[in-house]
Amino acid sequence: MEFMTQPDARVLLIVDDSRVSRMVIRTLVLAKHPQWIIIEAASGDEALTIVDRDTPNYCTMDINMPGMIGTEAAAQILAKHPGTRVAIFSANIQETHQTRAAAMGACFVAKPVTGKTVAQALDFFESAR
Amino acid sequence: MNTLDQLSELQLDALTEIFNIGTGRAAASLSDIVGSEVVLSVPRIQFFQSSEVNAALLSLNSPRIGAVRQIFSGSVNTNALLLFTEDRALEIVRDMMGSQLSTEELVEFEQEALSELGNIILNACMSAMSDLLHFTLHSSLPTYSTGPTETMLRQIIAQTDQPTMLLLHIDLTIEKHQSQGQLIFILSSSSFHELLAHVDQFIANI
Repeated sequence: MEFMTQPDARVLLIVDDSRVSRMVIRTLVLAKHPQWIIIEAASGDEALTIVDRDTPNYCTMDINMPGMIGTEAAAQILAKHPGTRVAIFSANIQETHQTRAAAMGACFVAKPVTGKTVAQALDFFESAR
Repeated sequence: MNTLDQLSELQLDALTEIFNIGTGRAAASLSDIVGSEVVLSVPRIQFFQSSEVNAALLSLNSPRIGAVRQIFSGSVNTNALLLFTEDRALEIVRDMMGSQLSTEELVEFEQEALSELGNIILNACMSAMSDLLHFTLHSSLPTYSTGPTETMLRQIIAQTDQPTMLLLHIDLTIEKHQSQGQLIFILSSSSFHELLAHVDQFIANI
């Protein structure tokens, strides 16, 4: 966690197969935290590789993606890097996914990506600081 | 002419994400109704000319299909249809109504239950679209019909002089029942261009 010494420079990994969703999350987060470093991944597998390499502080994770589903990728990330704060950001708002997110210690945020829902994720991220 | 060629990668991505949110909401409602998880695939969008549409294109490999149809009007006018293979329909109704019903009773409820299913899915998709693209849509009541696949498709195409069809493929699994649904939104050229103008506005606002 080399970024801990610079309290303002946090690293956020955005995982979503939709480029538009990644763009909206990135824009809304940078509006509030212009100093944050943002990394993007378009799949769960790509996210796992990035997490091992860059150890982000925070991660937003979509569920319905081609390949590994987001809840599985999030579970694997949290098992290996329990310090990462993960917000599951999904259109799939069924109870099962919300329960699974809570059980792994992640926060569940229902899409669409808006100022309000991004604020929910940011509150969760920063409650750890 | 394939209207899909006119769409940029970003426009297609935005539309897919809008439908992803719509089908996600629909799945949550369905899951509440049937009392088990509904597994959804990532939706795939394709555009076709009405004249190109046939059973093979829609991957409806069943002799008969059911259709729930609803008309949405407003900034964008669309004739929205949910198509599904008829052999799966009764299984879904059984999930919705509870397994204690006899087959005779299920058949009696079929029309009503499937109209409601269509209503939930079509309205979830269109309301996600109107919420995200900021326009208002009014919807008609759903109507349900069933018949031989090719006849149904010919009727659907004949009832419209509107050239563009937006096809949304979703795979939907309710517990052990794997079911494939196709959603079709039939748009006039002016509604198609209106929809794209709203999508562009949405992207420009990011």
